[in-house]
Amino acid sequence: MYILQAIDVYKKFHRLEVLKGISLQVKKGEVIAIIGSSGSGKSTFLRCLNRLETIDKGFIEIDGEIMVQNNADGKAIYSPEKDIERLRRKMGMVFQNFHLFPHKSVLQNIMLAPLLVKNINEAEAKALARVLLDKVGLDYKADNYPFELSGGQQQRVAIARALAMEPEIMCFDEPTSALDPELTGEVLQVMKDLALENRTMIVVTHEIGFAREVADRVIFMDEGVIVEEGKAEDVIINPKHERTKAFLSTVLMAR
Amino acid sequence: MDYLLLLIPTMLKGTSITLKLFFLTLAMALPLGVILALARLSKFKPLNVFMQFYVWIFRGTPLLLQLLFIYFGLTFVGITLERFTAAVLAFVLNYAAYLAEIYRAGIQSIDRGQYEAADVLGLTKMQTMSKIILPQMFKRVLPPMSNEVINLVKDTALVYVIGISELLRVAKTAAVTDFRFTPFIVAAIFYLIMTGVIQQFFKWLESKYEFYE
Ligand SMILES: Nc1ncnc2c1ncn2[C@@H]1O[C@H](COP(=O)(O)OP(=O)(O)OP(=O)(O)O)[C@@H](O)[C@H]1O
Ligand SMILES: [Mg+2]
Repeated sequence: MYILQAIDVYKKFHRLEVLKGISLQVKKGEVIAIIGSSGSGKSTFLRCLNRLETIDKGFIEIDGEIMVQNNADGKAIYSPEKDIERLRRKMGMVFQNFHLFPHKSVLQNIMLAPLLVKNINEAEAKALARVLLDKVGLDYKADNYPFELSGGQQQRVAIARALAMEPEIMCFDEPTSALDPELTGEVLQVMKDLALENRTMIVVTHEIGFAREVADRVIFMDEGVIVEEGKAEDVIINPKHERTKAFLSTVLMAR
Repeated sequence: MDYLLLLIPTMLKGTSITLKLFFLTLAMALPLGVILALARLSKFKPLNVFMQFYVWIFRGTPLLLQLLFIYFGLTFVGITLERFTAAVLAFVLNYAAYLAEIYRAGIQSIDRGQYEAADVLGLTKMQTMSKIILPQMFKRVLPPMSNEVINLVKDTALVYVIGISELLRVAKTAAVTDFRFTPFIVAAIFYLIMTGVIQQFFKWLESKYEFYE
Protein backbone atom coordinates (compact mmCIF):
# COMPACT_ATOMS: atom_id res chain seq x y z
CA MET A 1 0.00 0.00 0.00
CA TYR A 2 1.47 3.29 -1.04
CA ILE A 3 0.91 6.60 0.71
CA LEU A 4 1.61 8.37 -2.55
CA GLN A 5 1.46 7.24 -6.12
CA ALA A 6 2.27 9.39 -9.11
CA ILE A 7 2.11 7.61 -12.42
CA ASP A 8 3.24 8.84 -15.80
CA VAL A 9 2.99 12.53 -14.97
CA TYR A 10 3.35 15.05 -17.78
CA LYS A 11 3.63 18.78 -17.40
CA LYS A 12 4.22 21.54 -19.93
CA PHE A 13 4.83 25.24 -19.43
CA HIS A 14 3.55 26.70 -22.67
CA ARG A 15 5.60 24.72 -25.18
CA LEU A 16 8.31 23.64 -22.78
CA GLU A 17 7.85 20.04 -21.69
CA VAL A 18 9.18 19.90 -18.14
CA LEU A 19 7.91 16.52 -16.95
CA LYS A 20 7.83 13.74 -19.49
CA GLY A 21 6.23 10.78 -17.81
CA ILE A 22 7.44 10.73 -14.21
CA SER A 23 6.32 7.94 -11.91
CA LEU A 24 6.96 7.67 -8.21
CA GLN A 25 5.50 5.37 -5.59
CA VAL A 26 6.17 6.11 -1.97
CA LYS A 27 5.52 3.85 1.01
CA LYS A 28 4.64 5.17 4.42
CA GLY A 29 7.78 6.11 6.31
CA GLU A 30 10.00 6.15 3.27
CA VAL A 31 12.49 8.95 2.69
CA ILE A 32 12.99 9.78 -0.96
CA ALA A 33 15.73 12.07 -2.21
CA ILE A 34 15.36 13.59 -5.65
CA ILE A 35 18.57 14.83 -7.23
CA GLY A 36 19.35 16.19 -10.64
CA SER A 37 20.78 19.17 -12.42
CA SER A 38 19.17 22.59 -12.56
CA GLY A 39 16.12 22.74 -14.78
CA SER A 40 15.54 19.00 -14.80
CA GLY A 41 12.04 19.45 -13.35
CA LYS A 42 12.55 18.46 -9.71
CA SER A 43 10.74 21.43 -8.21
CA THR A 44 8.00 21.23 -10.78
CA PHE A 45 7.37 17.59 -9.93
CA LEU A 46 7.24 18.32 -6.22
CA ARG A 47 4.88 21.22 -6.83
CA CYS A 48 2.62 18.99 -8.91
CA LEU A 49 2.27 16.58 -6.00
CA ASN A 50 0.51 19.19 -3.89
CA ARG A 51 -1.10 20.93 -6.82
CA LEU A 52 0.86 24.14 -6.66
CA GLU A 53 1.10 23.28 -10.36
CA THR A 54 -1.52 21.34 -12.28
CA ILE A 55 -0.45 18.45 -14.47
CA ASP A 56 -1.45 17.88 -18.11
CA LYS A 57 -1.54 14.12 -18.03
CA GLY A 58 -1.07 11.41 -15.44
CA PHE A 59 -2.37 9.96 -12.23
CA ILE A 60 -1.74 11.05 -8.65
CA GLU A 61 -3.14 9.31 -5.62
CA ILE A 62 -2.54 10.33 -2.01
CA ASP A 63 -3.30 8.00 0.87
CA GLY A 64 -5.53 5.85 -1.30
CA GLU A 65 -7.57 8.71 -2.71
CA ILE A 66 -7.32 9.93 -6.25
CA MET A 67 -6.34 13.56 -6.75
CA VAL A 68 -6.08 13.51 -10.51
CA GLN A 69 -6.45 10.93 -13.26
CA ASN A 70 -6.69 10.76 -17.01
CA ASN A 71 -9.97 10.84 -18.83
CA ALA A 72 -10.67 8.76 -21.93
CA ASP A 73 -8.75 11.26 -24.08
CA GLY A 74 -5.69 10.94 -21.85
CA LYS A 75 -6.11 14.38 -20.33
CA ALA A 76 -5.68 14.98 -16.62
CA ILE A 77 -8.93 15.55 -14.74
CA TYR A 78 -8.79 16.66 -11.13
CA SER A 79 -11.15 15.41 -8.45
CA PRO A 80 -13.67 17.86 -6.93
CA GLU A 81 -12.10 20.78 -5.11
CA LYS A 82 -13.41 19.69 -1.73
CA ASP A 83 -11.66 16.32 -1.93
CA ILE A 84 -8.48 17.90 -3.20
CA GLU A 85 -8.38 20.32 -0.31
CA ARG A 86 -8.52 17.39 2.07
CA LEU A 87 -5.79 15.54 0.18
CA ARG A 88 -3.54 18.55 -0.03
CA ARG A 89 -3.66 18.86 3.72
CA LYS A 90 -1.82 15.56 3.90
CA MET A 91 1.12 17.18 2.15
CA GLY A 92 3.45 19.54 4.00
CA MET A 93 5.79 21.75 2.03
CA VAL A 94 9.05 23.45 2.87
CA PHE A 95 10.38 25.93 0.35
CA GLN A 96 13.88 26.89 -0.60
CA ASN A 97 13.26 30.48 0.53
CA PHE A 98 11.28 29.62 3.68
CA HIS A 99 8.40 31.99 2.93
CA LEU A 100 7.69 32.69 6.56
CA PHE A 101 5.07 35.35 7.20
CA PRO A 102 7.19 38.41 8.06
CA HIS A 103 4.46 40.25 9.96
CA LYS A 104 3.88 37.35 12.35
CA SER A 105 6.09 36.26 15.20
CA VAL A 106 7.71 32.85 15.09
CA LEU A 107 5.02 31.41 17.33
CA GLN A 108 2.22 33.04 15.32
CA ASN A 109 3.68 31.67 12.10
CA ILE A 110 3.27 28.16 13.45
CA MET A 111 -0.11 28.74 15.10
CA LEU A 112 -1.77 30.41 12.15
CA ALA A 113 -2.78 27.44 10.03
CA PRO A 114 -3.91 25.23 12.91
CA LEU A 115 -6.08 28.11 14.13
CA LEU A 116 -7.58 28.97 10.77
CA VAL A 117 -7.70 25.61 9.05
CA LYS A 118 -8.04 23.05 11.81
CA ASN A 119 -10.14 25.38 13.96
CA ILE A 120 -8.48 24.43 17.19
CA ASN A 121 -8.52 26.98 20.00
CA GLU A 122 -5.82 29.49 20.80
CA ALA A 123 -4.45 27.64 23.83
CA GLU A 124 -4.17 24.35 21.99
CA ALA A 125 -2.53 26.01 19.00
CA LYS A 126 -0.03 27.72 21.25
CA ALA A 127 0.83 24.51 23.06
CA LEU A 128 1.27 22.71 19.77
CA ALA A 129 3.47 25.49 18.40
CA ARG A 130 5.65 25.41 21.51
CA VAL A 131 6.17 21.67 21.24
CA LEU A 132 7.15 21.98 17.59
CA LEU A 133 9.47 24.91 18.24
CA ASP A 134 11.13 22.91 20.93
CA LYS A 135 11.54 20.05 18.50
CA VAL A 136 13.43 22.25 16.03
CA GLY A 137 15.44 23.73 18.89
CA LEU A 138 14.03 27.25 18.72
CA ASP A 139 11.75 27.58 21.72
CA TYR A 140 13.74 30.61 22.84
CA LYS A 141 12.85 32.43 19.60
CA ALA A 142 9.08 32.11 19.96
CA ASP A 143 8.41 35.83 20.22
CA ASN A 144 10.94 36.99 17.66
CA TYR A 145 10.05 37.98 14.15
CA PRO A 146 11.44 36.11 11.13
CA PHE A 147 13.78 38.94 10.13
CA GLU A 148 15.54 38.57 13.48
CA LEU A 149 16.47 34.96 12.69
CA SER A 150 19.30 33.49 10.66
CA GLY A 151 18.41 31.63 7.46
CA GLY A 152 18.91 28.28 9.14
CA GLN A 153 16.64 29.27 12.01
CA GLN A 154 14.02 30.56 9.61
CA GLN A 155 14.03 27.29 7.75
CA ARG A 156 13.63 25.36 10.98
CA VAL A 157 10.61 27.53 11.82
CA ALA A 158 9.24 26.81 8.35
CA ILE A 159 9.59 23.11 9.03
CA ALA A 160 7.78 23.48 12.36
CA ARG A 161 5.06 25.47 10.62
CA ALA A 162 4.53 22.69 8.09
CA LEU A 163 4.54 20.03 10.82
CA ALA A 164 1.84 21.91 12.71
CA MET A 165 -0.71 20.74 10.14
CA GLU A 166 0.32 17.15 10.85
CA PRO A 167 0.88 16.18 7.24
CA GLU A 168 1.31 12.57 6.17
CA ILE A 169 4.08 13.49 3.77
CA MET A 170 6.66 16.24 4.12
CA CYS A 171 8.00 17.69 0.90
CA PHE A 172 11.19 19.73 0.88
CA ASP A 173 12.35 21.72 -2.14
CA GLU A 174 16.06 22.34 -1.73
CA PRO A 175 15.62 23.36 1.90
CA THR A 176 19.28 24.28 2.37
CA SER A 177 20.12 25.84 -0.99
CA ALA A 178 19.46 29.40 0.15
CA LEU A 179 21.60 29.00 3.25
CA ASP A 180 25.20 29.85 3.99
CA PRO A 181 27.18 26.61 4.14
CA GLU A 182 27.71 26.83 7.89
CA LEU A 183 23.93 26.93 8.44
CA THR A 184 22.92 23.90 6.39
CA GLY A 185 23.93 21.45 9.12
CA GLU A 186 21.29 22.55 11.64
CA VAL A 187 18.49 22.21 9.07
CA LEU A 188 19.71 18.83 7.84
CA GLN A 189 19.89 17.66 11.46
CA VAL A 190 16.22 18.54 11.99
CA MET A 191 15.36 16.65 8.82
CA LYS A 192 17.37 13.64 9.96
CA ASP A 193 15.43 13.66 13.22
CA LEU A 194 12.19 13.64 11.26
CA ALA A 195 13.40 10.72 9.17
CA LEU A 196 14.24 8.81 12.35
CA GLU A 197 10.62 9.29 13.49
CA ASN A 198 9.56 7.37 10.41
CA ARG A 199 8.06 10.32 8.67
CA THR A 200 7.39 10.04 4.98
CA MET A 201 9.58 12.59 3.24
CA ILE A 202 10.30 13.63 -0.30
CA VAL A 203 13.38 15.81 -0.45
CA VAL A 204 14.70 17.61 -3.50
CA THR A 205 18.29 18.32 -2.64
CA HIS A 206 21.78 19.00 -3.82
CA GLU A 207 23.16 17.64 -0.55
CA ILE A 208 24.47 14.34 -1.84
CA GLY A 209 25.85 13.42 1.57
CA PHE A 210 22.46 13.87 3.16
CA ALA A 211 20.77 11.86 0.42
CA ARG A 212 23.21 9.05 0.89
CA GLU A 213 22.92 9.00 4.65
CA VAL A 214 19.20 9.56 5.16
CA ALA A 215 17.30 8.58 2.03
CA ASP A 216 15.91 5.09 1.57
CA ARG A 217 15.73 5.72 -2.11
CA VAL A 218 17.42 8.19 -4.43
CA ILE A 219 15.94 9.35 -7.68
CA PHE A 220 18.02 11.00 -10.34
CA MET A 221 16.07 13.22 -12.73
CA ASP A 222 17.29 14.69 -15.94
CA GLU A 223 15.41 16.66 -18.57
CA GLY A 224 12.01 15.71 -17.23
CA VAL A 225 12.50 11.98 -16.83
CA ILE A 226 13.73 9.70 -14.09
CA VAL A 227 17.00 8.37 -15.40
CA GLU A 228 17.94 6.21 -12.48
CA GLU A 229 16.56 5.27 -9.11
CA GLY A 230 17.34 2.87 -6.35
CA LYS A 231 18.92 2.50 -2.96
CA ALA A 232 21.09 5.45 -1.99
CA GLU A 233 24.31 3.45 -2.10
CA ASP A 234 23.56 2.12 -5.54
CA VAL A 235 22.64 5.38 -7.20
CA ILE A 236 25.24 7.52 -5.49
CA ILE A 237 28.18 5.17 -5.15
CA ASN A 238 27.67 2.95 -8.17
CA PRO A 239 25.58 4.86 -10.67
CA LYS A 240 24.80 2.90 -13.82
CA HIS A 241 23.92 5.62 -16.24
CA GLU A 242 26.38 7.98 -17.83
CA ARG A 243 24.22 10.99 -17.07
CA THR A 244 24.05 10.08 -13.39
CA LYS A 245 27.80 9.67 -13.26
CA ALA A 246 28.35 12.99 -14.99
CA PHE A 247 25.97 14.78 -12.65
CA LEU A 248 27.46 13.24 -9.52
CA SER A 249 30.99 14.03 -10.54
CA THR A 250 30.09 17.70 -11.08
CA VAL A 251 28.32 18.10 -7.74
CA LEU A 252 30.92 16.16 -5.84
CA MET A 253 33.68 18.13 -7.48
CA ALA A 254 31.99 21.39 -6.54
CA ARG A 255 32.67 20.82 -2.86
CA MET B 1 -5.71 91.77 16.96
CA ASP B 2 -9.38 92.67 17.24
CA TYR B 3 -9.75 91.77 13.60
CA LEU B 4 -8.26 88.32 14.22
CA LEU B 5 -10.71 87.71 17.06
CA LEU B 6 -13.54 88.53 14.70
CA LEU B 7 -12.08 86.48 11.91
CA ILE B 8 -11.14 83.28 13.63
CA PRO B 9 -14.63 82.02 14.60
CA THR B 10 -15.81 82.18 10.97
CA MET B 11 -12.60 80.57 9.79
CA LEU B 12 -13.06 77.79 12.31
CA LYS B 13 -16.53 77.21 10.98
CA GLY B 14 -15.06 76.84 7.49
CA THR B 15 -12.43 74.52 8.88
CA SER B 16 -15.07 72.32 10.44
CA ILE B 17 -16.67 71.88 7.01
CA THR B 18 -13.26 71.06 5.57
CA LEU B 19 -12.59 68.52 8.29
CA LYS B 20 -16.02 66.97 7.97
CA LEU B 21 -15.47 66.42 4.26
CA PHE B 22 -11.97 65.15 4.94
CA PHE B 23 -12.95 62.53 7.51
CA LEU B 24 -16.07 61.37 5.71
CA THR B 25 -14.04 60.88 2.54
CA LEU B 26 -11.34 58.94 4.35
CA ALA B 27 -13.78 56.78 6.28
CA MET B 28 -15.37 55.63 3.04
CA ALA B 29 -12.57 55.82 0.47
CA LEU B 30 -10.00 53.87 2.51
CA PRO B 31 -12.07 50.67 2.70
CA LEU B 32 -13.71 51.17 -0.70
CA GLY B 33 -10.24 51.40 -2.22
CA VAL B 34 -9.43 47.92 -0.89
CA ILE B 35 -12.55 46.46 -2.46
CA LEU B 36 -11.82 48.20 -5.75
CA ALA B 37 -8.21 47.01 -5.70
CA LEU B 38 -9.33 43.43 -5.19
CA ALA B 39 -11.87 43.83 -7.98
CA ARG B 40 -9.16 45.24 -10.20
CA LEU B 41 -6.99 42.18 -9.49
CA SER B 42 -9.85 39.76 -9.91
CA LYS B 43 -9.54 37.06 -12.54
CA PHE B 44 -13.19 37.65 -13.41
CA LYS B 45 -12.75 39.57 -16.64
CA PRO B 46 -15.82 41.87 -16.63
CA LEU B 47 -15.06 43.08 -13.12
CA ASN B 48 -11.45 43.65 -14.02
CA VAL B 49 -12.32 45.60 -17.16
CA PHE B 50 -14.94 47.64 -15.34
CA MET B 51 -12.34 48.60 -12.75
CA GLN B 52 -9.86 49.70 -15.37
CA PHE B 53 -12.57 51.87 -16.85
CA TYR B 54 -13.49 53.27 -13.43
CA VAL B 55 -9.91 54.16 -12.60
CA TRP B 56 -9.41 55.69 -16.03
CA ILE B 57 -12.45 57.95 -15.59
CA PHE B 58 -11.63 59.12 -12.09
CA ARG B 59 -7.93 59.57 -12.56
CA GLY B 60 -8.22 60.83 -16.10
CA THR B 61 -10.38 63.87 -15.37
CA PRO B 62 -9.94 66.74 -12.93
CA LEU B 63 -11.61 66.31 -9.57
CA LEU B 64 -13.09 69.77 -10.11
CA LEU B 65 -14.91 68.52 -13.17
CA GLN B 66 -16.12 65.45 -11.32
CA LEU B 67 -17.60 67.70 -8.66
CA LEU B 68 -19.43 69.72 -11.28
CA PHE B 69 -20.72 66.59 -12.98
CA ILE B 70 -22.02 65.07 -9.78
CA TYR B 71 -23.60 68.23 -8.44
CA PHE B 72 -24.86 69.97 -11.60
CA GLY B 73 -24.61 67.26 -14.24
CA LEU B 74 -26.74 64.75 -12.42
CA THR B 75 -29.63 67.22 -12.20
CA PHE B 76 -30.05 66.82 -15.95
CA VAL B 77 -30.89 63.17 -15.44
CA GLY B 78 -33.22 64.04 -12.61
CA ILE B 79 -30.90 63.41 -9.68
CA THR B 80 -30.48 66.34 -7.35
CA LEU B 81 -28.04 65.95 -4.53
CA GLU B 82 -27.47 68.21 -1.63
CA ARG B 83 -24.25 70.20 -2.06
CA PHE B 84 -22.36 68.48 0.69
CA THR B 85 -23.59 65.01 -0.29
CA ALA B 86 -22.46 65.64 -3.84
CA ALA B 87 -19.06 66.76 -2.57
CA VAL B 88 -18.61 63.68 -0.40
CA LEU B 89 -19.70 61.39 -3.24
CA ALA B 90 -17.27 62.95 -5.70
CA PHE B 91 -14.40 62.82 -3.23
CA VAL B 92 -15.04 59.26 -2.17
CA LEU B 93 -15.28 57.99 -5.75
CA ASN B 94 -12.19 59.91 -6.78
CA TYR B 95 -10.01 59.05 -3.81
CA ALA B 96 -11.07 55.42 -3.82
CA ALA B 97 -9.77 55.22 -7.40
CA TYR B 98 -6.37 56.63 -6.43
CA LEU B 99 -6.14 54.52 -3.29
CA ALA B 100 -7.17 51.40 -5.23
CA GLU B 101 -4.20 51.88 -7.51
CA ILE B 102 -1.89 52.33 -4.54
CA TYR B 103 -3.27 49.24 -2.84
CA ARG B 104 -3.03 47.28 -6.06
CA ALA B 105 0.64 48.09 -6.45
CA GLY B 106 1.12 47.16 -2.79
CA ILE B 107 -0.62 43.81 -3.20
CA GLN B 108 1.33 43.04 -6.34
CA SER B 109 4.61 43.84 -4.62
CA ILE B 110 4.13 40.95 -2.22
CA ASP B 111 6.14 37.86 -3.02
CA ARG B 112 4.28 34.99 -4.67
CA GLY B 113 5.86 32.72 -2.07
CA GLN B 114 3.55 34.21 0.55
CA TYR B 115 0.51 33.01 -1.37
CA GLU B 116 2.06 29.60 -1.91
CA ALA B 117 3.03 29.20 1.73
CA ALA B 118 -0.52 30.06 2.78
CA ASP B 119 -1.93 27.80 0.09
CA VAL B 120 0.02 24.70 1.10
CA LEU B 121 -0.99 25.27 4.71
CA GLY B 122 -4.61 25.07 3.61
CA LEU B 123 -5.68 28.69 4.04
CA THR B 124 -8.56 29.78 1.84
CA LYS B 125 -8.13 32.64 -0.62
CA MET B 126 -10.07 34.93 1.72
CA GLN B 127 -7.93 34.00 4.71
CA THR B 128 -4.78 34.47 2.68
CA MET B 129 -5.89 37.96 1.66
CA SER B 130 -7.08 39.10 5.06
CA LYS B 131 -4.41 37.52 7.26
CA ILE B 132 -1.31 37.45 5.07
CA ILE B 133 -1.45 39.77 2.09
CA LEU B 134 -3.44 42.83 3.17
CA PRO B 135 -1.65 43.35 6.50
CA GLN B 136 1.70 43.32 4.69
CA MET B 137 0.32 45.49 1.92
CA PHE B 138 -0.85 48.07 4.45
CA LYS B 139 2.64 48.61 5.80
CA ARG B 140 4.09 49.01 2.33
CA VAL B 141 1.55 51.57 1.14
CA LEU B 142 1.81 53.88 4.13
CA PRO B 143 4.20 56.35 2.44
CA PRO B 144 2.16 56.82 -0.77
CA MET B 145 -1.00 56.74 1.29
CA SER B 146 0.17 59.63 3.46
CA ASN B 147 0.77 61.64 0.28
CA GLU B 148 -2.79 61.01 -0.83
CA VAL B 149 -4.20 61.95 2.55
CA ILE B 150 -2.29 65.22 2.52
CA ASN B 151 -3.52 65.89 -0.99
CA LEU B 152 -7.02 65.29 0.25
CA VAL B 153 -6.76 68.09 2.79
CA LYS B 154 -5.72 70.50 0.07
CA ASP B 155 -8.24 69.20 -2.44
CA THR B 156 -11.13 69.93 -0.11
CA ALA B 157 -10.70 73.56 -1.18
CA LEU B 158 -12.16 72.58 -4.56
CA VAL B 159 -15.68 72.30 -3.24
CA TYR B 160 -16.00 76.07 -3.42
CA VAL B 161 -17.16 75.53 -7.04
CA ILE B 162 -20.40 74.08 -5.84
CA GLY B 163 -20.78 76.81 -3.25
CA ILE B 164 -19.70 75.06 -0.07
CA SER B 165 -18.18 77.39 2.49
CA GLU B 166 -15.07 75.48 3.46
CA LEU B 167 -11.95 77.09 4.88
CA LEU B 168 -10.51 78.70 1.76
CA ARG B 169 -13.81 80.08 0.53
CA VAL B 170 -14.50 81.61 3.93
CA ALA B 171 -11.05 83.17 3.86
CA LYS B 172 -11.54 84.54 0.40
CA THR B 173 -14.91 86.03 1.25
CA ALA B 174 -13.45 87.72 4.30
CA ALA B 175 -10.47 89.00 2.34
CA VAL B 176 -12.66 90.53 -0.32
CA THR B 177 -15.26 92.11 1.93
CA ASP B 178 -12.79 93.39 4.50
CA PHE B 179 -10.22 94.28 1.89
CA ARG B 180 -7.43 92.62 3.86
CA PHE B 181 -4.89 89.88 3.20
CA THR B 182 -4.85 88.50 6.76
CA PRO B 183 -7.57 85.84 6.15
CA PHE B 184 -5.32 84.14 3.59
CA ILE B 185 -2.47 83.99 6.06
CA VAL B 186 -4.75 82.50 8.68
CA ALA B 187 -6.02 79.96 6.14
CA ALA B 188 -2.46 78.99 5.27
CA ILE B 189 -1.68 78.46 8.94
CA PHE B 190 -4.79 76.32 9.37
CA TYR B 191 -3.86 74.13 6.38
CA LEU B 192 -0.31 73.77 7.65
CA ILE B 193 -1.57 72.69 11.04
CA MET B 194 -3.82 70.04 9.47
CA THR B 195 -1.19 68.66 7.11
CA GLY B 196 1.41 68.79 9.88
CA VAL B 197 -0.78 66.70 12.14
CA ILE B 198 -1.34 64.19 9.35
CA GLN B 199 2.36 63.92 8.67
CA GLN B 200 3.05 63.25 12.34
CA PHE B 201 0.25 60.72 12.45
CA PHE B 202 1.70 58.76 9.54
CA LYS B 203 5.17 58.97 11.03
CA TRP B 204 3.78 57.43 14.18
CA LEU B 205 1.90 54.78 12.19
CA GLU B 206 5.02 53.86 10.24
CA SER B 207 7.02 53.54 13.43
CA LYS B 208 4.31 51.32 14.86
CA TYR B 209 4.81 49.00 11.90
CA GLU B 210 8.55 48.89 12.31
CA PHE B 211 8.30 45.81 14.49
CA TYR B 212 9.03 43.63 11.51
CA GLU B 213 11.32 43.49 8.51
N1 LIG C 1 6.07 28.73 -13.76
C1 LIG C 1 6.89 28.41 -14.79
N2 LIG C 1 6.65 28.91 -16.03
C2 LIG C 1 7.44 28.59 -17.06
N3 LIG C 1 8.49 27.77 -16.99
C3 LIG C 1 8.79 27.24 -15.80
C4 LIG C 1 7.99 27.52 -14.64
N4 LIG C 1 8.52 26.85 -13.59
C5 LIG C 1 9.57 26.17 -14.06
N5 LIG C 1 9.74 26.39 -15.39
C6 LIG C 1 10.77 25.80 -16.24
O1 LIG C 1 10.68 24.40 -16.12
C7 LIG C 1 11.97 23.81 -16.10
C8 LIG C 1 12.13 22.96 -14.87
O2 LIG C 1 12.15 23.81 -13.74
P1 LIG C 1 12.26 23.29 -12.26
O3 LIG C 1 12.20 24.47 -11.39
O4 LIG C 1 11.27 22.21 -12.03
O5 LIG C 1 13.72 22.68 -12.25
P2 LIG C 1 14.58 22.16 -11.03
O6 LIG C 1 15.00 20.78 -11.39
O7 LIG C 1 13.85 22.36 -9.78
O8 LIG C 1 15.86 23.09 -11.09
P3 LIG C 1 16.69 23.79 -9.90
O9 LIG C 1 17.68 22.76 -9.42
O10 LIG C 1 17.36 24.93 -10.56
O11 LIG C 1 15.74 24.19 -8.85
C9 LIG C 1 12.97 24.94 -16.21
O12 LIG C 1 13.38 25.05 -17.54
C10 LIG C 1 12.17 26.15 -15.79
O13 LIG C 1 12.65 27.29 -16.44
MG1 LIG D 1 14.10 23.61 -8.09
